[in-house]
Amino acid sequence: MYLIKKSEVLNIARELAKDHLVYGPVTDEATGQVLFDSLDDPGKADLGAPIPTIPPKNVVFPQMECIYSYRYDKNSRAVDIRQVNAVKPKALFGLRSCDLEGMRILDRFFLGQEFVDDFYLNNRKKTFIVTNTCIAPFAQCFCVCTDSGPSAKEGFDLNLTELGDEYLVEAGSDRGKALAEKLGLAKADGSYAAKKTAAVDRAMDLFTGFAVENKAWVSRVTNRVTTGFIKEDVWEYIGDQCFECGACTFVCPSCSCFNIEDVNKNDGSTERLRSWDSCSYEGYSKMAGDHNPRKPVEDRRNKRFFCKLSYSQSKKYLRPGCVGCGRCAWVCPGDIGLPNVVTYIRRETTK
Amino acid sequence: MADKHECDNGCKIVSIPQVATIEEIKDEIVDVKTFYLNIDDAGVREKFRIRSGQFIMCTVFGAGEFAVSLPPSPENDRFHISVRQVGKVTRALHALQVGDKVGIRGPFGNGFPFEDIKGKNVVYVAGGIGLIPLRSSIVHVLQNRKDFGRIILIYGARSPKDLMYQYNIDEWLKIDGFETYITIDSPAPGWTGETGFVHNLIPKANVPVDNTVAFVCGPPVMFNSVINVLMEQGLSDDCIISTLERHMKCGIGKCQHCAIGRTLVCTDGPVYTYRQIKTLGEQI
Repeated sequence: MYLIKKSEVLNIARELAKDHLVYGPVTDEATGQVLFDSLDDPGKADLGAPIPTIPPKNVVFPQMECIYSYRYDKNSRAVDIRQVNAVKPKALFGLRSCDLEGMRILDRFFLGQEFVDDFYLNNRKKTFIVTNTCIAPFAQCFCVCTDSGPSAKEGFDLNLTELGDEYLVEAGSDRGKALAEKLGLAKADGSYAAKKTAAVDRAMDLFTGFAVENKAWVSRVTNRVTTGFIKEDVWEYIGDQCFECGACTFVCPSCSCFNIEDVNKNDGSTERLRSWDSCSYEGYSKMAGDHNPRKPVEDRRNKRFFCKLSYSQSKKYLRPGCVGCGRCAWVCPGDIGLPNVVTYIRRETTK
Repeated sequence: MADKHECDNGCKIVSIPQVATIEEIKDEIVDVKTFYLNIDDAGVREKFRIRSGQFIMCTVFGAGEFAVSLPPSPENDRFHISVRQVGKVTRALHALQVGDKVGIRGPFGNGFPFEDIKGKNVVYVAGGIGLIPLRSSIVHVLQNRKDFGRIILIYGARSPKDLMYQYNIDEWLKIDGFETYITIDSPAPGWTGETGFVHNLIPKANVPVDNTVAFVCGPPVMFNSVINVLMEQGLSDDCIISTLERHMKCGIGKCQHCAIGRTLVCTDGPVYTYRQIKTLGEQI
């Protein structure tokens, strides 16, 4: 454990910027939105900002990326396939613990199943992660119900916790430790562990003020979703409110469905693009010849909540698929953000 | 369900397609062509091994990529795919000539059981182009004839000109002990064989029930009526095996387009028993 003065904490970002592309939370002056964006000036990172509108998943899993390109010469019949070159190491500075858990879900999914996704690995490897403990929850948060906050437990290189005028800096890896040593940070004595615990406990106490009762029902609903004890009309009620806009999937730190499309360029080459996709779209499962096995919207909606809350998915991710950031409740033009879905299912099961 | 493969994912083409040459194109039936393919890189070609029931992702350069089942037997069979033109990418494939290049990734999926069904009676029931994925297992089982009990094929199509692999069927009819029943939906001039739907032929074929496994593949309506008859005959739902089709983008369990129930068709399937299919909770 190390200590750094509040006024100097951005030096960590500045040091990382020497050999990393640094991403961090910044407040957009025009709109007031918090974005997790690449920082030209690491000094602009705003550690006190609320959780960013879009999760940092686009850093490791871009909304649209060219995974490789090819050129096929019809006359000579020569094929030239070009892979995307290695990317510059990235550093994520000021990640919230929910977003870190989201990224760890993506890691287990893309790298830990039967096949390794080479394109994700290429973006993800060498990523340096600095997390930021939430000392107070934000209005839509419920990470305490999904075991993903308010402080990151593992998976970071450095973790920052604001304690008055200074930040406690914990190293979670050898390179995290090396960076702290390089910056010459002061060592924190043993008493700081208790101070951090007190700060985290205080944050968790603040949840009880507004984390309405439904949020404590996540595990119960997981049980219901897994065993299928949910009536069709509950899914229909949820489906009726779905606008099929896909926003919930795009702002979700753990949603990873994608589409692949070949786009022909004017120079005769073709780019194979992969882009975020959403299971709420009608064409999602439509096959050539127009056969679509998954038609009604409620059929597609319950797929998403099955993905977030079922035990079989939890087995793959080693935790629930939902990380409690609350962004889906933020953006949903209907009223079926995940906390509300939990409420609907809970009401049904307690009737 | 599937037999163990001698190598794990090491010999699969996972991310970047390998270039293959179209060596021969055969017209099968209306809108369906067979493409004989040969992987250009000799090292990759040597290691490329398939199991019956698996599929590949095939890139038509400039158009896109699609999932396609594999009709060749894993033993001594020329590598080929049979494709109906039905969308943008398959239409582009049909426009290609001998000598043109395509891309291949795979093979993916679990595949049909082979070791598990040794010593059993094997019944194949196919409708229309449903014969394409079953061909691989049929040829493989015929190549190991002595390891199996009765081998029965019940195959139906709309009309005589809609019968896939006519040249194979002609051979199969001559094989002693391979019980083949070919039918078309309604009488046609010049047709002297069976008429009517495939499920009506099941009682006629005197399909065995004990120690029997049935492979069923075809359009959803045919599939459901065949299943009903097989179950009436007394076949257990875990002895009925089929292969499912879904919209696929990656083939390696990442894009989630083929999610059905708790499974992904690309990595958990495409071969399922009817017992499994019943629990998936989606249309076939």
